[in-house]
Amino acid sequence: MILYVLRRLAAGLVLAVLVTMITFALLSTSFDDVASSIVGSGATPDLVQDQKAQLGLHRPLFAQYLDWLSHAVRGDLGLSYFTSEPVRSAIAARLGVTLSIVLAALLVTVVISVVLGVLAATRGGAVDRIAQGVSMLGYLVPNLLIAIALVYVLAIELRWFPATGYTPLSENPARWVSTITIPVVALMMSGVASLTSQIRGAMIGELRKDYVRTLRTRGIPTRSIVLRHALRGAAGPALTVLSLEFIQMLGGALIIEQVFALPGFGQYAFNASLQGDIPIIMSISLFGVLLVVGVNLVVDLVNGWLNPKARILS
Amino acid sequence: MRIRHPHPRSHARALAAVGIAAVLLASSACDSESTGASSSSGETLALSIFGTPNSFDPTQLLEGQQMYVWDSVYDTLLIQDNKGRLQPGAAKSWQYSSDARTLTLKLRTGMKFSSGAPVDAAAVKATLELIRTTPGPNQGVLASVASVEAPASHAVVIKLKQPDGSLLTSLSTAAGVIGDPKTMTSKSTALNPVGSGPYTLDKGATVNGSVYVLKRRDDYWNKKAYPFRTVKIRVISDQTASANALKAGETNAGTIDVAQVGSFKSAGFETKHVQATAVAALVLGDREGSVLEPLGDVRVRKAINMAFDRTKMVKQLLRGSGRPTEQIFNPKGPGHDPALDQTHSYDPSAAKKLLAEAGYANGFSVTMPSLVFTKPFEPTFTQALADIGIKVKWQPVPPQQSVSAIASKKYPMFLIVDGLNTTPVEARNFYSPTGYRNVFNSTDPELSKLLDRANRELDPAKAADIYKEINEFGVENAWYGPVFYIGSDWATKKGITYLGDGSSTLATIRQFGAADQAP
Repeated sequence: MILYVLRRLAAGLVLAVLVTMITFALLSTSFDDVASSIVGSGATPDLVQDQKAQLGLHRPLFAQYLDWLSHAVRGDLGLSYFTSEPVRSAIAARLGVTLSIVLAALLVTVVISVVLGVLAATRGGAVDRIAQGVSMLGYLVPNLLIAIALVYVLAIELRWFPATGYTPLSENPARWVSTITIPVVALMMSGVASLTSQIRGAMIGELRKDYVRTLRTRGIPTRSIVLRHALRGAAGPALTVLSLEFIQMLGGALIIEQVFALPGFGQYAFNASLQGDIPIIMSISLFGVLLVVGVNLVVDLVNGWLNPKARILS
Repeated sequence: MRIRHPHPRSHARALAAVGIAAVLLASSACDSESTGASSSSGETLALSIFGTPNSFDPTQLLEGQQMYVWDSVYDTLLIQDNKGRLQPGAAKSWQYSSDARTLTLKLRTGMKFSSGAPVDAAAVKATLELIRTTPGPNQGVLASVASVEAPASHAVVIKLKQPDGSLLTSLSTAAGVIGDPKTMTSKSTALNPVGSGPYTLDKGATVNGSVYVLKRRDDYWNKKAYPFRTVKIRVISDQTASANALKAGETNAGTIDVAQVGSFKSAGFETKHVQATAVAALVLGDREGSVLEPLGDVRVRKAINMAFDRTKMVKQLLRGSGRPTEQIFNPKGPGHDPALDQTHSYDPSAAKKLLAEAGYANGFSVTMPSLVFTKPFEPTFTQALADIGIKVKWQPVPPQQSVSAIASKKYPMFLIVDGLNTTPVEARNFYSPTGYRNVFNSTDPELSKLLDRANRELDPAKAADIYKEINEFGVENAWYGPVFYIGSDWATKKGITYLGDGSSTLATIRQFGAADQAP
C-alpha cells in the first residue's frame, strides 16, 4: 500500500518535470515578446534585449530550465515579471481562494447528490421525477447564467451576500462563508446534475443485485441495505465522476472567479498567460499537475477503501 | 453467512458532512454585513480598476488605471490639473533655458517621504538617474536627457541632448516620480513603496492583485486636493462584476457601460460622460510602400480614410459613447482642430475613384493583426474596406505578443485603440521618426521642421499653433486613418463627484471630489 502510494507520487513528480519542461520549451518562443511587453511599446530593440538579459532569458534554454527547477525544488518559484510579487506566496493565497470554493462546492455536491440520488432510486415516482428534473436543469442551465441571476437577486436586490470579493477563512469565518456562498452554489450546479444521475443509476443497478435480495430475505432493514450496502457498491463509479468533476470545477472556477471578482488561481493563471509572466505560468503548470495527480490518488485510495475489489494489493 | 457491516464511522462521517453543510448554509444566510465602502460621506473612496497594478518600483510604473495607486503614493515633479494643464507638483517652479536644452526645477521645501527622510534634489536626481538607466517602460521616455545635476539642496538641473517638447508632460507622469533613495532599489519597493505622495499604502489591509488600501497623510503639502481619508482600489477585471460591486455598495465610483447609465441614474448614482478617452485609428504605417506597395501612394491612404461612415460607427459600435474623428490628437488638447474633421468625409465611390487613379481599380489585399482590443471592431472595418475594394485578412496575435508583433514591421497597416495623451506626447508618439506609433520610422522634411520648432518653442500658445500644423500635415497626408474617439461613463455614489472631462489623461485621485468640496 505505502509502496503503491510512493510509486504513484514518484510518477506524479516525473510527470510534473515533463510537463513543466514542455511548458518552458513552448514559452521559449515568446521570450522576446515578454521582454517587449515589459518595456512597453515605446522601447527600442536594444532596450528589449537589455530587458531580456536582465531577466536571464538570453541564456541557453536547458540551463534556464535547470535553474528554475533547482529553485523550484527548494520552494523558490521566483518573482512575477510584472508585479515582482513572490510567486509562491501569491499562488498559496490564490489557491486558498479557489480551493475554498471548489472544495466547498464538491462537499455540497456530494451531500445533495447522495440524498437526491438515493431518494430517487429508492422511492421512485414523484421523488424520482423531481430529482431527474433538478438534474436536467443543472445540465441545461450554464453556471454563468445561474451566477448572474443569483448575484442579482441575492446580492444586489436582497443584499444578503456580497456581490464581489473574498474574505479569507482565517480573517473572519462568517464573512468567508458569506463571500463563497453564491460562487459555490453557481459552481456546484452541473456537478450535482451529473453526480445525482450517476448515483441514481448506480443505486438502481445495485438494488437489483442478488446480494440485496439475500439481505432482504434475512430481514435486514431496508434503510440499512440502502445506506450500508447498496450505496457502498454504488460509490465506486460515483467517485470517478466526482474526481472528474473536481477537475472540471477547477476550470469552471475561472469564470466564477471572474464574475465575483475573487482573487483566485484561475484569474491569476489567466492574467499571467495573457501577459506572458513566465515564472507564474511555470508554477501554475507545476501546481496543476500536482493537483490532478493528488486528487486522482486520493480518489483511488478512497475507492479501494470502499470497494475491496478495487483494493490495491501491493 | 454473516454479513460484514461497513465501517461504523461512515455514518458518523456522513452526518458530519451534512452538519458542516448545514452550518455553512445557515451561517451564510445570516451574514448580511455590507462590505462597506461608506457612501454617504467623502471619507472613503472605493473604486474598481480592471487590471492588476504593475510593480511599484519607480522604474516599472505604468500609466492607465493602475496609476491611481502609485500616483497616490509617489509625488511627481509636475502635476496635471483636471483641465490637463501642467501645475507645480514637488517642483514649485521650473524654467527652460532659451535654447530649450536646460531645464531647471526648484523643489518645494519641507516635503518628507513616508519614512521620514526629506525630499531633496539628491532624491530627485537619484530617481531620474535610476529610471533612465534601468530597462523598463519609462527608460525610453527620458531618452532625451543627457545628465541630471543637483546644484543645490532643492534645485535640479536637467540637461538635454536635444529639445524635447514632451519632457514636461513626462515629468507629470511615471518618469517624474520621486522615490526614496534609501529603499527604491531594494526588492521590497515592488510591493511596499516609500514615497512622499498624499497617501501611504496600507500593507495590512492590502491584498496584492485584489485590493489596494491607501491612507491619507496628514502632513501632505497638497492635502486639500485629496478629500478622501481612505482610498480603496479594487481590481475587478469583469465589467459586470464591477457594476455589481457598485450597485451592491461595495465600491462607490467606477466606469460603467453606456447601456447602464440609465439604471445607475435611477438608482441614485451621479453619472458623468467623458466624450473622449481613447482613439481608434488605422495606422497606415508603411508610407514608403515597402511591405504593401499601395500604401506608399497618398491617394490610397486618403481613399482608406474615406471608407468609414464614422457617425454611423459611433452610433452602432459605441452605442453613441464617443464621437467621430479624422485626427488622432486629443480633442481637449492644443493640437486639435475641428476644421480638420471634414477632410476625408465618407464617400466610398470617391474612394474607389482615388484607388483607380492610383492604379488599384481592382483593390488589393492586406493582412492586419487581430489583437484583443481590435476584435469587437474587426467586422465593421473589414466591411468598410471591402466596400472600396480592399480585402482584409485578420491574423490572430496572442496578447503577450501584441507589442512585438506591431513593432516587427510585419504589418503595413493595423488598427489601434490608444488612450489619449497630451498633445506633445502624441506628437512624439505618432509623428517623430522614433515614435512608437510611427512603426516604419517615416520622415518628411516639412514635418521634421515642424517637430523641431515645436520642441524648441517655449511659449505654449505658439507651440499650440505648431502642433495644429503637425496635425494638419498628418491629416492631409493621411498618415493615419482615425475613425472615432471612445468615451467613458462614470458612476459615483451621491456625495462623490468625478471631476475629469477628458482634458487630463492621467488616472489620479485628484479627479474625485467630495460633495462638501468645491470642484
